[in-house]
Order: sequence, then structure tokens, then C-alpha cells
Amino acid sequence: MGRYRLHVNGRRRVVEVPGDTPLLWALRDELGLTGARYGCGVGACGACVSLIDGAAERPCVRTVAESEHARITTIEGLSARGDHPVQRAWLELDVAQCGYCQPGQIMAVVALLAGTPDPDDAQVDAALRDNVCRCGTYTRIRAAVRRAAELARDAR
Amino acid sequence: MNAPRAITRRALLGAAGALVVAVPVVAATGPAAATATGDGPDAEGAVLAPTVFVRVDRRGRVVATVPRPDTGQGVRTMAAVLVAEELAVEVTDVVLEQAPGDTAAFGSQAVANSTSSRLLSGPLRTASATARCLLVAAAAARWGVPAAECAARRGRVEHPRHGSLPYRALVRAAAALDPGTVPVTLTPPERWRLIGRTGAGRADAHDIVTGRARFGAESAPAGGLVAVVARPPWIGALVDAVDDAGALAVPGVVAVVRLAPPGAGQGGVAIVAHSTAAALRGREALRVTWVAGSPAADSRAWLADLEAALPPVAGGTDVRRVYRLPLLAHAPMEPMNATAHVTGSGVTVWAPVQDPGGLRTQLARELALPDTRVRVNPTLAGGGFGRRIESDAVLEALACSRAVGQPVTVRWTREDDTRHDSYRPMSVHRLGATLGPDGVPVRRVHQVVTWPLTVVPPFGNPAVVLASGDHFPYAVPGEVSVTLRPAPLRTGFWRAVYAGQFGYAEECFLSEIAARGGHDQVDLRRRLLPADSRLRRVLDAAAERAGWSRGAGPGRGRGVACHLDYGSAIAVLVTADPAARRVLRVTAAVDVGVPVHPSGVIAQVEGGVLDAVSTVLRAQITVRDGAVVQSSFRDYAWARIGDCPDIEVVLVPSEAPIGGLGELAYPPAAAAVAAALAEGGEPVTGMPYGVAVG
Repeated sequence: MGRYRLHVNGRRRVVEVPGDTPLLWALRDELGLTGARYGCGVGACGACVSLIDGAAERPCVRTVAESEHARITTIEGLSARGDHPVQRAWLELDVAQCGYCQPGQIMAVVALLAGTPDPDDAQVDAALRDNVCRCGTYTRIRAAVRRAAELARDAR
Repeated sequence: MNAPRAITRRALLGAAGALVVAVPVVAATGPAAATATGDGPDAEGAVLAPTVFVRVDRRGRVVATVPRPDTGQGVRTMAAVLVAEELAVEVTDVVLEQAPGDTAAFGSQAVANSTSSRLLSGPLRTASATARCLLVAAAAARWGVPAAECAARRGRVEHPRHGSLPYRALVRAAAALDPGTVPVTLTPPERWRLIGRTGAGRADAHDIVTGRARFGAESAPAGGLVAVVARPPWIGALVDAVDDAGALAVPGVVAVVRLAPPGAGQGGVAIVAHSTAAALRGREALRVTWVAGSPAADSRAWLADLEAALPPVAGGTDVRRVYRLPLLAHAPMEPMNATAHVTGSGVTVWAPVQDPGGLRTQLARELALPDTRVRVNPTLAGGGFGRRIESDAVLEALACSRAVGQPVTVRWTREDDTRHDSYRPMSVHRLGATLGPDGVPVRRVHQVVTWPLTVVPPFGNPAVVLASGDHFPYAVPGEVSVTLRPAPLRTGFWRAVYAGQFGYAEECFLSEIAARGGHDQVDLRRRLLPADSRLRRVLDAAAERAGWSRGAGPGRGRGVACHLDYGSAIAVLVTADPAARRVLRVTAAVDVGVPVHPSGVIAQVEGGVLDAVSTVLRAQITVRDGAVVQSSFRDYAWARIGDCPDIEVVLVPSEAPIGGLGELAYPPAAAAVAAALAEGGEPVTGMPYGVAVG
């Protein structure tokens, strides 16, 4: 058991867990940040994707000890009112069916647009290759990424 | 549109000063009745039972109780649209409350057989229209004018001379009226603002995109414990001995609980802990010895067994083809989970379930408790696809909570979920046809060998399997036979149930017959469908939108299939690049009667198409050495965004009543995808296309 300082959604938080605890379970069970969903625990589905130092990472395959000095952003920390351009695009295009994978999809797209503000479909497909949606919302995700890019451009 | 039946005064429950309208739901008496049911309370052959509730509270808020859970199929959104339409408010004004399990109050609450729209739309509209008419009557009485001069609009009742009053000012007077004296009229289709027209998004969408939506594990009461289960390493294995010393030594582990099937689910040993991570560590440290079961089971041998049971080839058939279909897992995005709290006074369950009412009845019976002491709170479900009809995860949570006296959430890992499912059965289909001189089939023979659904006992009857699977809509007489072999592992409802297998084989075969006879796939089907039929209309609409008559283009394969079920009709046209094994474009035309929430209707078709792409390209479950080989989306290779074709969905106008949809698109989409990949190449002989099955 150790004491680990995490920097999550702009706040310093302390968790007391073994250092090899997957970050996902520290976020969910210790810090109550349940927007990062558990889908597989092996980095294969993307339901928990969150930003770690700005990059789309999978907290289920990363330990708490490895995450101590990183800046972590979960879906809860993306915007105060749910009005980030990617979230707005998701609402406009009515993307979600069950909605379980969507926080991970959204966070992966936030990371994509940060480095590639105007991605083409091939870049979207590559960035989201390991974000599974079991309901089949992919056509709307593609459209929503285009829309989010527009909204982000307008906001600049 | 018929006037709804009169509401008795008993239907009004003036709780806390609110106007409450409760309207009976038709409880289907069986699959046939469900299929025949149109618009609710007046359907013939159905029994009147429980209710849906619509309430206008003292603050004027419109609150609807949604009897069935939302698994992503959109029943909550549908309810909001219908209630908003009839109560003259916006979709987003409707507050949705999810009904707890209570069949006495709500009838069947099962998300199954694509019945939610068909059974709930009539009562939801009637209840809401009743509330509106009572509010209008109350305003008319206040002003001393005829009700016909008043109208409800934007949450108020208006009159040309008297101005308007908000609902909140009328609730008390409306609740005091005798509803038997107030005529109730539904809003006629030509005056619909929202039904079939609204651009509103899914209910709960804001919570979904902010991470606030509460699925199963997010709905557990604070301070509860978490459990994971050591599950049988091979099919049917039973716990022989447990050494729990290592597990109990893991910090955070509270208890180790043996789960005896079937009362405590599928069986295994649960590790109960203060956190998920501790429970998982405990499971690693647990030592279990297993006995019995089928450690040598192999899905290739199962397939051979099914094939060996095929009846003799039917005489007189000119063309024949055998199709082999694999096991499929449900793999909902949210793995199975359930939370339970057993106390001295009863039990409470929080879980993403597809049938909260049936679950409550089952638990009351098995625990010998009165219904009133069993509370089932359905949460949002991260997909269901048939899997969450079952109670196994809930039974595990109950056993754990009983053992430790606290609320316990049982979490299944993805590996648990993939390897301990109730799978879609394997099946073998021999199709045969007698062709006329023009190459058009004049007789068909379909011989099916498959397994029953072990978790749904009525599906042990071949006649029930036949009724589920055989929806052949074309004018070709023939025979269909079903032979059931004992199921070697758990099998259950999987989106579209047996229609997914039967329809796939039938439509793939029809496309092969078309190619063999030099017929266009669309033309052949048009010849076999009555000119004024719903299927012919959707087929024509899809062909026109897809530009079918322009031809496939070089290097392209095309496929077509239709499906008529759940009171709805669909045609699916697919263009693929066979050499690259890629599906490029899908055009679907659908007649669902009234598409209450158009975006949701299109979404369900898109979902069925992606299931088709997934299962026809590569996803299948196989068994070796007694165990399911696949363990996550890494090897149960569901479609990724790069596999997704362009999908266009045409909503075909229709006079038909509201039809079902959740399962409609999968069977024809799968067949059309396979036919497109096969055009010009090897014929379809199974699923996935061109891959060894089993």
C-alpha cells in the first residue's frame, strides 16, 4: 500500500492503494470519477480513454505509480457545462445509442483534434481504431468529428 | 385514429396535488399476439392489465414513468416524444422516471421481441392526451367557455379572449374532474409537431457526453463492496475444493463466497472486497479445484454433430447449399454486473437488466418473499442485445450480499463476459429449391439443425424455434423443418433470435439462385413479392435511393435482402469491395409504421448493419479444450470504425401502426453483406463469409 498524489481534472488528489493498481480503478473506486467506463481492462476497447498529459491513454492498462506526475483529464474534467466542441457535436449529431463507450470516444477525439484540427476520415479511423462501439454509432461518430472540428475552428 | 377508451375515475390518482393518469398497457398473451398488436388498448385477443403513468405535478412539470429499461434502443426517448406531443410541451420538458420492476403495475417490462414501441406507444399517448384534455376542461370551466374554444400549447392552455393559463395553475382543478365526463382525443397525425418529425436527440444524451450517466456499476449505493467471481475454467466445471487463504490475505478482501448453481447464478467462487482492484487481486490469489463438466469440448465437433443430424436431402430440389453458422456472444459494451442488498426486511437490486418485472417476480418466488419486499431498480444498460433478460449476475450479487450483510456489486470482467455468456446457438442449414424454366424458384426446402435456448425453456420446442426463425416473405411455397440437438453450453436470446440464422441462410440462397439464373437480385425479389406489399415498397425505395439500376461498377459486389417482422418491413442493399473484404455502402429502406423518433429509428438500423458487418467479416466464438477461446474485443473482433460503410436509411411513409425495430435490420443486413462479398467469387457457405466456422 502506498500514498500516491494524482493531478486529476486540475485538482491534486491523494489515493492510498498499491502502486500497481490500474489507474482506472483508482479513478473510479477511490476518487468517484466513474465517467471513465470499464469495458475490458486490457486496453482493447477504449471505453476508459482519458487524457494523460494531453494524449489519449487507457487508464485500465496504466498503474497509479506510473501516473503520479502526469496531468490526467477524465470526461468529467473536459468542460464545466458539457459544452466542449466535441460534446456539442456529439449532441447535435445524436451520436449515442447506449452511450457506454461515448466518454472514451469523445476523449479520443479531443486528443485527435488537439494535434490534427481538421482530420480526414482515414485519420479519424486510425485515431479511433481501438475504440469499440458495440451499438454501431460509427457513422455518426465520423460526422460528429467533422462537426466538432468546425465548432472548434469557429471558437478560435 | 380511434378515440381511446374511456378512463375510469379510478385511473386518476391525485397524489400530492398532481394530476396523474394511469392507462392500461396491453399485456401480450404470446409471440403471436405481440406481433398482431397495433396501437394498444383496443387490440383484439389481448388482455388488459397494468398501466403506464403520466403525471403533471403542482409545478406544472410533465413526468412520465417509463415501464421498460433503456438498453440503447431508445425507449426513454420514444416515451418523451409521445408524451410531449400529446401534452403540448417540448421533448426536453418531459421528466423521465424509470419504473422499478412491478408487473402488477406495468405488465411485461421485458425489452424483448422488439415490442416496446408497439405495446407502449398507444397507452403513453392515451395517458398524455387524457391529461391534456383534463387540463383543457379545467381551463374551460374556469373561463366559462366551451373546451373546444381552448387549446393546449407550450405547457399552457390558451383561449382567444381569455389569454392563457400555465398547467401548474390548472393541475388541482383538472385532478378533481371526473375523467368519464371529459371526452379524450388523440392529436391527429396531420397536427403532429414531434412524432415522426422531431429533431430532438436521445434522452439522457447530455449525461452520456459528460460521463454523468449512471449505468449498472455507477448506480450502486455508496459504501458498498465489490466482488469478482472465479468462474469455471471449462464448460460445466463445478467447484470441488477451495483454498482461500491467499485470497483472504490480500488487503481489502473481505470474504470468499461459494456460489452454487443455479440458485446463485452460473456458479463459481466470489471474492468480496472493498475495491475492484482488491477483488481482482484476491481472485488471482484464490486456489480452486474444479471437477466434472466438459474439459474436451470443441466447437468444431459440435458443428460436425449438427451437420450429421441433417435430414435426408429432399427430393426434387435442383439446387442446394449448406450454410454453417457459428456461436456468437452478446458482448455488450458494459460487461455484466449487478448490485444487491439483502436485509432482514427484503432485497434491493440495482442492475442493468432487460426485464425488471420478470426479475422481481423470479426473485420473490425463489426467495419466498412477498413482491413488496423485493425492489428491482433498472439502471441504464450499456447494451443488452438479449443478454440482460437473464438473472445470473443478479443472483450472484444476492448471494454475496447475503453472505456479508452489505450491498455488493458483482462485476464481470470482459473475459468473464465473453467466456460465460448465453451464446447464440450454432446452426446448420440446408437450403434446396426447385426452379422453374426461367430460373425462378417455385418450391423451397429449408432444413435447420440447431440447439434450443437453454436459458429460455419454451425454446426447447422445435415449433417455437420455427416460429422465431421462419419469416420467409416471398411467394415460394415449401417446407421448413427444425431438428434440435442438445445444447452443449448455455444459449440464449441474441438480437433477432433465430430469425438471424434462418433469414441469413434464406436470403443468401436466394441471391445465389438469382445469380445462377441470370436474374438481378432486386428484380427476382420484386417478382416474388406482391405489388402492393410493404416489402415491395421498401425494396423499390431502397433500390431507387441506391441507384441500383446503374449497376455495380468494376470490382464491386452487391447484395440485397429483405425482412418482414415485428410489424415492420425493411430492405437492405449493400455494395462491397470483395477483393479487399470491405463493405463500402449500405442503403436501407424501412417502414416502421410511424417512426416516432426518426433519429432513433435510423440509429437502430445503423446498429443492425454494424452487427452484420461484424459477424459476416470475422466475429465468432469458438471453443477448444472445453473453453471459449476469445476473451475480449481483441479476439472477438467486432467491427471498428474503419470497417464501417457509408449507411443511408430511408424512412418510407406508411399507414401501418407503430412497428418494432430493434431487431429488424440485422438478419437482412447480414445476408446482403455476405451476398455482396460473394458476388463474382466463392458462394456463401456460412458465417463469417469465407472463414472456417467453429
